[in-house]
This record gives sequence, structure tokens and C-alpha cells, in this order.
Amino acid sequence: MKTYVIYCHPLESSYIASIRDRVLAGLASAGHEVRVTDLYAEDFRPELSAWERTHHLDPPETKPEITPYADNLRWCDTLVFVYPTWWSGQPAMLKGWIDRVWVAGVAYELPPGANRIRPLLGNIRRLAVFTTHGSSKWINALQGEGGKRVINRALRVLCNRRARTSWIAFYGIDRASDNDRERFLGRAERKARSLR
Amino acid sequence: MNVLVLLAHPNSDSFNHAIAERAVETLRSVGHEVQLLDLYALGWRAAMSAAERTAYHGDTPVLDPMVASHVEMLRRADALVFVYPTWWSSLPAILKGWLERVMVPGVAFVFDDAGKVQSALTHVRRIVGISTYGSPHRYVWAINDNGRRTLTRALRLTCGVRTRCRWLGLYAIDTATSDERAAFLKRVERRMRAL
Repeated sequence: MKTYVIYCHPLESSYIASIRDRVLAGLASAGHEVRVTDLYAEDFRPELSAWERTHHLDPPETKPEITPYADNLRWCDTLVFVYPTWWSGQPAMLKGWIDRVWVAGVAYELPPGANRIRPLLGNIRRLAVFTTHGSSKWINALQGEGGKRVINRALRVLCNRRARTSWIAFYGIDRASDNDRERFLGRAERKARSLR
Repeated sequence: MNVLVLLAHPNSDSFNHAIAERAVETLRSVGHEVQLLDLYALGWRAAMSAAERTAYHGDTPVLDPMVASHVEMLRRADALVFVYPTWWSSLPAILKGWLERVMVPGVAFVFDDAGKVQSALTHVRRIVGISTYGSPHRYVWAINDNGRRTLTRALRLTCGVRTRCRWLGLYAIDTATSDERAAFLKRVERRMRAL
């Protein structure tokens, strides 16, 4: 399988970086072909600019900065996100990647005269998210799990109609023990190995 | 009341700017003290930096002078008004980043001895969200309005049980007529007057 991993955390020493390493190990042992984007390491600019907003329906060729990401999205059949959940959603850095890369001509098209967008990422048949939540599952339910719905609904409708989603989440990490953390790393690796 | 208005649209001639302008004018005309933060115009940096993340759980999580000035405004605020376009069912990155970098421990909340989050924004009595959507209302409802959830649930939980939320949405903006836009600005005006 062709798997594109989007990783987002500012610190290489973070627990999220450990999750990424275990996810990559799991994918490698299952024989996936993998491409990785490390948004912080690449110094990605997350703010959609005024020019990009004005030209948001222009062809993607006019936006060379996003070409490598768009190529990876078109190449993969499995899309994996690894990030910490902050304020019940994706970190701004990752949200900005979605705002700037999932544009017309890459993720969807708006045919002339149509009032409804058409998905363009039918090649993506599998979505998986590995994330951590500071608070408990119960608090996250109260908060509405915004981040989960952005990916499993808003982005998923632009992928293959049958695309399946997995949410591999560590809730309550603020109060978790070292043992819990170690156990989740094992779970992440097993899950990555069995992704299909 | 002290009202802090957050605006998150890159184009200064956008409808979101017209909304924010109308909101600020109206609030001032009825005697509120208003601060407007136009995040793009301020050159606000969306992403939390490595240094900020390292300092997050320490005694001084605020490193940047612009963040510090916003923290001061937030501490004085009785009401928060958010004006933004909904992108991918959620907040634009620049506004999401404002929450992440300003609403840090010691400002928006504190961790108690058991590591549980306790609110520190009990002075915020009102949260108003004003958003524009490319999609019609039904589609937004089906996908879920995650930006709205972030503000009226996640953020509200860190304010207080008595904090009231109000939401104003202009849906399917791409096909909205100028009459519909004008009517929406009127709604914004009425809501701000009644704050």
C-alpha cells in the first residue's frame, strides 16, 4: 500500500514523535511504501494568504508551494495523520496545511454552473488518525470531538466513496502513567501494521 | 462591558471585515469598550513554536510580546466575539493558533493538583460567534460545525457555567444576494446591540 503520513508536532522529543516512530515501524513491517511530511521540520506556513484566498479556485499549478503535498495526496491510497489534539482539534499548523493544500483542483472541483463540489481524491481508500487528548473521553464528547469530525467527515467526503476511517486516540494523557503511555505506543504500532 | 473582537480573514475587503466593522461600531455606539484584533493585519503567527511548546507547562508559558498583550486584553474581557470564515468545517488556522498560543495554562485554565483542568476565564460572560460558510446550512449540519463546537463547547467549558453563547451564521455565501448580506449585517447589529 502507498501510505502518506502527515506528522505535526513542534518538538522532536515529544511523545507524539514516539508515536510517529512506532507508526512508521508498523507500516514498514507490513510492507507499506511510505512518504512522510513533517510540517514543523519543513517550516510550513499555515496561514492561508490573501492571494491564496482570492485565487482559491485557480488551478493548483499556479500554487507551486503546495505541489509536493498535492502530488503525495494524489499518489497515496492510505492517509495517516499523527498529531496532538489541542483545543479539541488539529493544531493550527495542521489545520493550515488542510486550508492551503486541500484546494480546488487537488481535493475537489467545482464544475462551471454546479453548486456542489466534486471530490477528486478517490484514490484515498483509507484514513487513519493517531492522536492524543489531554482530557478524558467524556470531556471530549462534551466538547463535540471537532477534530475527529473534520477528518472523518469534512475531509473524508473528498476521498473514495468507500473510504474507511480509523481513530486511534489516547484520551486523558495529562493524567496517564508511564505504563499507559508505553501501552499506547504498542497499540499504535500494531494498528499501523494491520492497516488495510 | 469590555468586548474583545477577533477577526480572521486574510482579505481586508472581505465580507468578514464588513461584519467586524459593523459589530465594533454598534458595540461602541451602545457604550461598550471594544478591542478589535484583526489577526492577519497584525501578522499573527498561527503555529505554536517549539520554544512555546517547551514552556507550555512551565511557570511562564507566554514568550511573545504580542501574545502577552492579547493575554492582557483577554483578562479584561467580559465578552468574546469571533468573526471568521468557516473552512473545512472549522476555524481558519490563524484563529485556531490564537486559541493555542493565548489560551495557555495560567491564562485560560489551570491544572489542579490532580492534573485536572480548572477554568480561569470565569469573567467571560458572553461568547458570540459570527461565521460565513460556503456550504448551505444542511450540509454544515451534516458534516458538523466543528468551528462552532470548538468555541461554544470546548472554549465555553473553560469559561464558566453561566457563560452564554450566541451564534450567527451566513450560509451558502457564494450564492447570497446583496440583500441577504445586508440583512445579515442588520442581524449582526441587532445582536451586538442586545449583548
